Amino acid sequence: MTTPTRRHGFRAASAIILLLGGVGVAIATWVGGSHGWAIAAIVAYAVLAGGAYVWAGRSNDVAALMRGGGDERQRGLDRDATAITAIVMSIAAVLGALISIGRTGNPGVYGEFCVIGGITYAVSLFVLQRRRH
Amino acid sequence: MPSAARLRIALLAHLCKGSLTHFPYGKHTFHMDNRVRELRATHDLSQGQLGDALGVSRQTINAIENGRYLPSLPLAIAIARYFGSTVEQIFVA
Repeated sequence: MTTPTRRHGFRAASAIILLLGGVGVAIATWVGGSHGWAIAAIVAYAVLAGGAYVWAGRSNDVAALMRGGGDERQRGLDRDATAITAIVMSIAAVLGALISIGRTGNPGVYGEFCVIGGITYAVSLFVLQRRRH
Repeated sequence: MPSAARLRIALLAHLCKGSLTHFPYGKHTFHMDNRVRELRATHDLSQGQLGDALGVSRQTINAIENGRYLPSLPLAIAIARYFGSTVEQIFVA
């Protein structure tokens, strides 16, 4: 039996992800021709990243997850929150597909989200049931 | 609606249905009382000290003591071993 261990994680993890996301948004916005919005985006994401770095230095559950760390309960909270998010997004995708079919006769991009979600679920279930938890 | 589109949405709905069947919270949440707070007080430990000793956070010890979190079997055994007791003596259904 292994004793449960807490992962401490890396304080800048969320900040780095936000910065990378911000750079991506800024590049896309710049390429799209909105140079002012691109600069605003990178500044906004930099401010958010700074806030995330400060928040991740605290000792609460959210901070532990923002560092990519946490113990078994905190990782469970993360899993549950992820599952709820996936359920809500699945419902939104299905409703979007239905509305899109009603309007255009085609599910459009919502249908693709549904297919991706459904296939991901099926494959995950197949893989996870073979792993030792 | 074209039949191909109907078939496609039926397939999508079927594929998406899986993630809607197991909501993580519900009426079947299992509750157990435990003696962790009592044992911790007996050993004159703070929640943070016990958490550090067991490799979990202070918040998790607090959640266990208040019945908001049922620890995994390895953690329950670690708690029992730490206090020189058994899981059955600490966690009571």
